[in-house]
Amino acid sequence: MHFPRVVDQLRKIAGRDAVLDRPEDLMLYEYDAGVRKCTPAAVVFPQNTQHVSAILRLASAAGFPVVARGAGTGLSGGAIAPKGGVVLAFARMNRILEVDAGNMRAVVQPGVVNQQLSDCVAHLGLYFAPDPSSQKACTIGGNVAENSGGPHTLAYGVTVNHVSGLTVVMPAGEVVRFGGKGAESDGFDLTGFFVGSEGTLGVVTEITVRLLRRPERIATLLAIFETVDDGARTVSAITAAGITPAALEMLDGWTLRAVEAACQAGYPLDAGAVLLIELEGLTEQVEEQAEAVRKVALEQKAREVRRAKDEIERGLLWKGRKNAFAALGRLAPSYYSQDGVVPRTKIPAALQFIGLVGKKYGLRIGNIFHAGDGNLHPLILFDPRNPAQLELVQAAGAEILEWCVSAGGSITGEHGIGLEKRDLMPLLFTDDDLDVMLSLHNAFNAAGTLNPGKLFPTARMCRETTGPSANPVLSSEGM
Amino acid sequence: MKAAGLSLDVRRELCVICGEEQVRERDGGPIVVLPASAEEVAAVLRLANECRLRLSPAGSDTAINPSGKQPDVVLNTTRLTEVEHYDHADLTVGIGAGTTVARLQALVGAEHLLFAADPALPDRCTVGGLLATASHGPLRHGYGGVRDYCIGIRFVTGGARRAKGGGRVVKNVAGYDLMKLLIGSYGTLAVITSASFKLFPAPRETKTFLTEFSGAAEALRFRDQLMRSPLSPMCLELVSPGARKLMRPEMAGDAWVIGVRAAGSDAVQARYRKELGSAVTRELEGDKERIMWRAIEDFPAACGQMSKDERRKEGARNVCIQISVPPSDVLRIINLLNTPDDRKNVSVGFIGRVGVGHVLAVIQISSEEREPLRLVDNLRREFKDNLSVKLDSASKPWPIPPANLTAMRAVKQALDPGNVLCGREIF
Repeated sequence: MHFPRVVDQLRKIAGRDAVLDRPEDLMLYEYDAGVRKCTPAAVVFPQNTQHVSAILRLASAAGFPVVARGAGTGLSGGAIAPKGGVVLAFARMNRILEVDAGNMRAVVQPGVVNQQLSDCVAHLGLYFAPDPSSQKACTIGGNVAENSGGPHTLAYGVTVNHVSGLTVVMPAGEVVRFGGKGAESDGFDLTGFFVGSEGTLGVVTEITVRLLRRPERIATLLAIFETVDDGARTVSAITAAGITPAALEMLDGWTLRAVEAACQAGYPLDAGAVLLIELEGLTEQVEEQAEAVRKVALEQKAREVRRAKDEIERGLLWKGRKNAFAALGRLAPSYYSQDGVVPRTKIPAALQFIGLVGKKYGLRIGNIFHAGDGNLHPLILFDPRNPAQLELVQAAGAEILEWCVSAGGSITGEHGIGLEKRDLMPLLFTDDDLDVMLSLHNAFNAAGTLNPGKLFPTARMCRETTGPSANPVLSSEGM
Repeated sequence: MKAAGLSLDVRRELCVICGEEQVRERDGGPIVVLPASAEEVAAVLRLANECRLRLSPAGSDTAINPSGKQPDVVLNTTRLTEVEHYDHADLTVGIGAGTTVARLQALVGAEHLLFAADPALPDRCTVGGLLATASHGPLRHGYGGVRDYCIGIRFVTGGARRAKGGGRVVKNVAGYDLMKLLIGSYGTLAVITSASFKLFPAPRETKTFLTEFSGAAEALRFRDQLMRSPLSPMCLELVSPGARKLMRPEMAGDAWVIGVRAAGSDAVQARYRKELGSAVTRELEGDKERIMWRAIEDFPAACGQMSKDERRKEGARNVCIQISVPPSDVLRIINLLNTPDDRKNVSVGFIGRVGVGHVLAVIQISSEEREPLRLVDNLRREFKDNLSVKLDSASKPWPIPPANLTAMRAVKQALDPGNVLCGREIF
């Protein structure tokens, strides 16, 4: 099918104002929060599951790739369409369909913004636990696709631990339902399997999420250290003391100074590192744990342990943490965020290695990360106008991830593989591991219509699939 | 002795793979083979594919065989007990699928850590069996199910491919989540050879508050009140009068009991006492507390055994049904099952993690073979998507084909194209 005819068909399905195909409009959809770019051939805004089903039927028949997109806040290139691809943008499927407070569940469309759900159920004393730094913008559909985390997933788990049911449109347009409001469902746990599959198996159009009750007491502590090493050792010491904080975040001195300049969050400018520690639960429990954490931190050479005295102070400390990536924009035109994971006892060694990599490549690298679960986010600053520097940055990033894997860790804790890390998958997985995953991919998406080119190493995808990922069949006047 | 009509060649090959002593035959039954490594498991599965054998993985004598048809070969995993990694400071462990849950609990318990699964018969239940059946005990309320803390899995697919999903760190989203796919798949897709888990700090002090009510409705109203409170107990379990009697005769009584197990200091326990109020009739700690929770953990196994014994007799027999529904439907389930129907099916007892919508019901039913299926079918009609049912403890999943059979078939075809693993009749 000639592409203008595809656009006509898309308009018939979703409405005249629900399709973009002008180059100046498409430019807004050529990137996410990572470093890759590719302009889609069109963007369509479905308004219901039937629209998604009809669009996927059309894609299947006409042979164009489809990529689902929430708010485009992903950091791994997961929502970037390949050449000739159509972006399925969920901005108009953004309704909270049901709140079932009795069962602590909500049913939402994929375009609902993460924070909006928590705001909507706040009057019931409930909230949605996954809290990526981008939660004011990112969508729950995107969280499901990437199995997103956030600071508080240390205690409460990532998105998959908070999803009990999905409505999914399969690549050929069939609508299926996995799970429901119950904690368990019959048959294979396809809900759990589809969460984090990065839009490569089906397109999710309804999500049943689990809500949690807001804790009675929250204590937010800021432990201030002279060195990063002391802070890193405190992370293991807190765990060894039998305490699982709700969140345990670390910022190195260099990063926190940038954050402080941007946000005035109250971070000490002369510190080597800080730990932001949050404890939640029953008042008695939280007070005991706060005292125990303070003691542990001081034993590990904390210079001082402060406690947020009210919600305003707490809010400021978190504002600093959650806006840290943006704050670094004051220091360089762009940054490359990595997402490696190491066993938490390897954090001191990992930070030393990151320092060495920075020196080796002559790059500035800041560290702000989820220390409690060993999820590192080295932020490598660079200027994207300098292609040679981008290459260096990517090489440095890959070296850091290789080290994480050699330390028993992973190449991604919450951002997903996407385009960015697909060729690093063999660091973690054998040919057999990848063949098994690919056979499951092909069980649902053999033609490769959905989000092609993601998650699997390039060579493998080209060899194993024959769909749009390998053979783009469309030409677009807009490209 | 001749077992299941297998050729001598097959037996010889199995002996070559695992050693003569590790291939056991029972007259008329399947050959039992005990591989000692993932390589041996893969070799057994390759042979099964070449010879088109039906193979069923098993842990400790609780062969998982959803089809009900006898397999040609039982692949017993109990020699797969290697500790692959144990990083107590990282709160993670990776261990062979044949390790018993009790051994794993003892291993990590020595470092004051907790492996948060408490299935029935932990001395026999293997880690692989726990994963394959997604079984749980009372800790399910406070720590989630095994799907929530299994961080990595190694397995051999039905197609004899050795592979893994996840890893050994607590946060990891690289690749498809194969843990979720294999947990609760009842050995129909792959043989799990080892797995890694997130561990928790073991609570230093616990106490159990027993609260009593005159009926299920009153007990569940109390549950609702508790769920809205700031309390977050480790366990929250409903035990009906009938279940109390079945569990331990000395526990018999007319009241419906909700047991609330709390971890924490004296100050925390005092807060629980205050919040739970006058509903508390007894407090347990130490050995008495452990014995009570052990009886609840083992209840499904005790009922399963009772059911087998009853089956040998004429007339009515007891059947266990494990049900998961949204918590607000628990009362409706209990009322539905508690009302004798025209076939005189009578409920004998209920227990359950009612905070998460789990109910285990023991029902006395007529002797007709298909009666339990009729009962399950009725429940499915009533509760539709929001219901999960297991019959007779965890050994027989999916009494009625699940709604997503088409998608399940696609997965089965991808991982076990030769259909050698159990469950071929379902698919």
